[in-house]
Amino acid sequence: MTTDQEPPQYAVARLRRALAEDPRTAEQGVRVDLRGEQVYLSGDVASEERKRTLDQVVHDIAANLKVHNDVRVVEAKAPVGQEELR
Amino acid sequence: MIRIAAVGDVHLAPDASGHLRPALEELGDCSDVLLLAGDLTKHGTVEEAEVVAREFGGLDVPVVAVLGNHDHHSDQGEELSTVLGEAGITVLEGDGIVLDVNGRRVGIAGVKGFGGGFAGKCASAFGEQEMKAFINHTAEVSDQLGKALEELDADVRVALTHYSPVKETLRGEPLEIYPFLGSYLLAEAIDKARADIAFHGHAHAGTEHGMTAGGVRVRNVAQPVIRSAYKVYCLEPAELEQAAS
Repeated sequence: MTTDQEPPQYAVARLRRALAEDPRTAEQGVRVDLRGEQVYLSGDVASEERKRTLDQVVHDIAANLKVHNDVRVVEAKAPVGQEELR
Repeated sequence: MIRIAAVGDVHLAPDASGHLRPALEELGDCSDVLLLAGDLTKHGTVEEAEVVAREFGGLDVPVVAVLGNHDHHSDQGEELSTVLGEAGITVLEGDGIVLDVNGRRVGIAGVKGFGGGFAGKCASAFGEQEMKAFINHTAEVSDQLGKALEELDADVRVALTHYSPVKETLRGEPLEIYPFLGSYLLAEAIDKARADIAFHGHAHAGTEHGMTAGGVRVRNVAQPVIRSAYKVYCLEPAELEQAAS
């Protein structure tokens, strides 16, 4: 739980570590920004379910924060075109 | 023309099973080989490797992979390689393979790689055991990559790693974490062996295009960077030979 006394930098660090180390998420590429009691998540994950799980992990650690989950689900379609290396 | 498809950091697990397969079914129409640049799984478990095997097994092109840091998280790297091998996926770790592509020999040398940072701003094998172990691991795997590249008897030589050999393809990542994203020792090995192109993953917020100090093109094919199931790169061996001379 974050407290009023905790500097925001430590709260962000704790949330980022949790998203990487919690087996439910194991996401190293998710960025965390904290503004007051609003937390903003950004980056890319592989599925909608993984995106939702990020909210749960943040909530378990800092239930007082409102989560804005701007994480994108990465595209899994075939590419358009190709790169020619000459 | 040699057409290389590549992707890294697909982070598969049962919850993402089958996501990529539809895009892979017709891969042979647009490519000759598929490279997987590590972080194939989320936690590095055998169950997740079985998802990877189903996703990338039985395609109409050869599939060559290296493992990434996520694939080592459960300390089951060897078991993962076995599961993938049984599905016909070649997993490289300090070794190489030569494929026949339309009469051309395409050599691929691969290694996971590791961190340490980039020339002039990198860590040294000095001080605590933990620090020496960190850098010695990078030096060891970079050495393996260099030897594997030099041993390839091929028309085109490709380096495949998970960690980045250059900082150019990390643009977009925080500068503070560059030492955890790659090492110049990998680039030094790639340049010394005069590889034709290098592929890596790991840096989700990085940039697709980069180049080594020696002029070898580097492509960051982490899926969040290329924003598709894979990307295709076309090489002309004759033009590469001309560029090298």
